[in-house]
Amino acid sequence: MANPTWILETRELTKRLGGKPVVNEVNLAIGRGEIYGFLGPNGAGKTTTIRMLLGLAKPTKGSVHIFGHDIRKERIQILRKVGSLVEYPSYYGHLSATENLEAVRRLLGVPKSRIGEVLSIVRLTKEADRAVKGYSLGMKQRLGIATALLGSPELLVLDEPTNGLDPAGIQEIRELIKSLPGSHGVTILISSHLLSEVEQMATRVGIIAKGSLIYQDGIQMLRERAKSRIRFGVSDPEAAWRLLLSHGYQADWDRRQLSVDRTDDRTVAAIVAQLVRQDHQVYRVEEETASLERIFLEMTGTEGSL
Amino acid sequence: MLRMFRSEWLKIRRSVMWLLIAVSPLIALAFGLFGFKQEGSFPWIEALSLLSALHAMLFLPLLTGIYAALLCRYEHAGGGWKMMLALPVSRTQVYFVKFAVLMLLLAATQLLLLAALLAVGWANGISSPVPWRTIFASLGGGWIACLPLAALQLFASVAFQSFAAPLAVNVICTLPNMLVVNSARVGPYYPWAQPMLAMLPREDYGFGAFNLSLETLTIVVLGSFCVFFAAGWTYFAKRSV
Repeated sequence: MANPTWILETRELTKRLGGKPVVNEVNLAIGRGEIYGFLGPNGAGKTTTIRMLLGLAKPTKGSVHIFGHDIRKERIQILRKVGSLVEYPSYYGHLSATENLEAVRRLLGVPKSRIGEVLSIVRLTKEADRAVKGYSLGMKQRLGIATALLGSPELLVLDEPTNGLDPAGIQEIRELIKSLPGSHGVTILISSHLLSEVEQMATRVGIIAKGSLIYQDGIQMLRERAKSRIRFGVSDPEAAWRLLLSHGYQADWDRRQLSVDRTDDRTVAAIVAQLVRQDHQVYRVEEETASLERIFLEMTGTEGSL
Repeated sequence: MLRMFRSEWLKIRRSVMWLLIAVSPLIALAFGLFGFKQEGSFPWIEALSLLSALHAMLFLPLLTGIYAALLCRYEHAGGGWKMMLALPVSRTQVYFVKFAVLMLLLAATQLLLLAALLAVGWANGISSPVPWRTIFASLGGGWIACLPLAALQLFASVAFQSFAAPLAVNVICTLPNMLVVNSARVGPYYPWAQPMLAMLPREDYGFGAFNLSLETLTIVVLGSFCVFFAAGWTYFAKRSV
């Protein structure tokens, strides 16, 4: 039975394509009102997972429960309360934004006034009567979000909604998404290949790499994983490193500096004293906090940065 | 179901399809106005033969493929399939409505051909009463004979992302129609030739597959339609988008 505290839950969700698992035993759990950041490098299986969540693709194994119901058995009932934007925005280029929304509205059966409402939420009201094929990518993305919002969904699934946008566009979409749970009471699943993009809005994150979910918890926990280090700017890092090693301190060095794991003040003082006693020139001692991005890259492997 | 028709209508309302509907009837009209001579004792049937020859042999099968491809094109191009199928709609409904719209477009084409036929008759001052029964049997029969082909082309158009691929297949398969109808063995089973076999007035053509009874043709048409439609529908219901 599905756990009632989760609005969306997957159990061992698996998709094999040609024998190779693209999504491998993924257990997602998303609570009501959360903004869940679904992270992973390109090709990690995010979109495939999202397709299975929406019933667009069938899992090889495992289950998807949304609002406590099985997507395989009650797909239409569930999708009534889900708005989605998958991979890239979908639109009918020869129609205007209003007509695009109307085509979807007729299927959803929501009041006509919703079209004006969602257009103003994504600030497309002025451009609403132009053919969508002339829109910029950012405007198409916004139309995609408007379409997702049309049915006043309880769960909003946005797959890479900022893909291909310029920094201003990214900022705009981020503000828009942040405002939704507060003003509309929506739960949001947002996927991205950039941690920095969801870091400021997500309450929880799930990280997927090579098809497996390797992390799922609050964003705070992830920050705590960000171990900091102490760096010493010294005149001769290699000699200084040998010195520290001979006194039993674990350290790393490169051409310019020496670094040790974060430690207490007394140890730092002792290290400095050792260095000075051996006539090393100490230019600076500083604490370095690893960025979340680096942890993310370490967790997902270096392909993530490409 | 109705709301889906209304949504589909919105998508095709401003499409090139409306121009295509008129092409074949207009060509037939030109044929009729310039080529028709009132000679025999059944002028209406002769006019019908003249107007429907090219239409049934070439344009009707080609248009079936073009309509099917156009109905799927805007879904493939803009990611419409995944948007529509992530909405609370059943895939079966989506497929049935696409097919129904395709058949409605073909029906509109047939009605325009009827208009062209009546115009030719009027322009030539044909005095004998209009043989409505024969005319409707021909136009309606041609329309029904499009069912298997429509099912096949919709299947292909749904399956191929490309707009051109299903059309190329359609053109290649339509061209040999003239030869295929000569064969009583292959003719009735060839989906592209069925509109022609059903549409041309039988009294005028006594060769090849035209010798077959209308009943045989009907059974083959409906039988193959069921097979092709079921295949396309099952494929669409199961495919990943």
